Amino acid sequence: MPRLETLSEVQRRTLEFFPCLEHESTPWVRPGKPLSQCKVALVTSAGLHLRNDQPFTRDDPGGEYSYRVIPSDCDPADVVQSHFSIGFDHTGIYRDLNVTFPVDRLRELVSRGEVGALSASFYSFMGALRDASGVIEETGPEVAARLKDEGVDVVLLTPT
Amino acid sequence: MSVLARVFEEHGIATVTIAMVREHAEKVKPPRALFVPFFFGFALGRPNDSACQHQVLNMAFDMLKSPEGPVLVDFPDDSAPTAMPQASQINSDTAPPARSAADEITAMRAFYERWLDNNGGRTGVGLCGIPQRRFRGVVRFLEMCAAGEEQADMSERPASISRHQYIRYCADDLKAFLYEARMEQNKEANEEALHRWFWGSTACGKLIADVAARLNESEDAGLKAIAYGLAR
Repeated sequence: MPRLETLSEVQRRTLEFFPCLEHESTPWVRPGKPLSQCKVALVTSAGLHLRNDQPFTRDDPGGEYSYRVIPSDCDPADVVQSHFSIGFDHTGIYRDLNVTFPVDRLRELVSRGEVGALSASFYSFMGALRDASGVIEETGPEVAARLKDEGVDVVLLTPT
Repeated sequence: MSVLARVFEEHGIATVTIAMVREHAEKVKPPRALFVPFFFGFALGRPNDSACQHQVLNMAFDMLKSPEGPVLVDFPDDSAPTAMPQASQINSDTAPPARSAADEITAMRAFYERWLDNNGGRTGVGLCGIPQRRFRGVVRFLEMCAAGEEQADMSERPASISRHQYIRYCADDLKAFLYEARMEQNKEANEEALHRWFWGSTACGKLIADVAARLNESEDAGLKAIAYGLAR
């Protein structure tokens, strides 16, 4: 994103007062092997899903903090976005899914041998949540357990 | 969402995060964050610029080599921010659309279908579940919504989706259809030109702004939230 001082007053203030959770420390894990031997998963907060899956809704019974599974071998033509916000420019993802969900780029890194493998499942959440407690307490740990089960070493997180 | 990075790392999985708001990453402190200076919607830089996207990924994964954290790295690019004018910022003194929204859909269809052919079928259309060849019906539904006809509905709406949520899916599909058709029609158009065209010159843009204005008249916070996500 452009630095805050370059934005409109409204957008700058919205971001400045966004309810971020402040932390003093950081959890820290190192993969213990080079990326070329790691299994990598892609997790996005761009509100993406397969076209035949349930779009994200504000009145989803699962809450805004629900997630969708996108197989890593998906056809990118099957991936759509139902993000609530029009505060970002949708033309980027219209032109190229990889600008938010770099599935083609990750496949290229695997074929070049720079990444060991991709996990079978990628995951998508809704971003810009003003209350992230559902993600922190419920769906985040659920996806973490699924990633662990699959032997994922590294997660790449992308916003929109 | 930097909070997810923290959750995964707490569960023993290493993470790298692309961050759009440096100030938020500084507060949340995900283990490894690459701050990118691109506008919202362009997390990996320019669309269809594979080299730029790989540069972002390389820098993101390089943070795994750091012995300790948190790590916050700035992507070295000072490209100017992309302007994204919202509907209300676009001159309203442009000429009124020359055709109806339904006729506009029909007129732009050939461009949209060529877009599909040229992009391997990739499209942002597909939330409301109605094929684009029947979008004239979607337009009629939105016109009734803009006119305040609260009983107007679509038989294709799943029971699990509220009517106002379905209005957004319909509007989002019309937007994706028109923008993609326009990108095919005018391949040189940059982002700002596309937004100015959609909100300033098209009947569908005006229709969606009218639906948003109608929903905004409600006292219902849910409807206002939908309106805020349609046009502002």
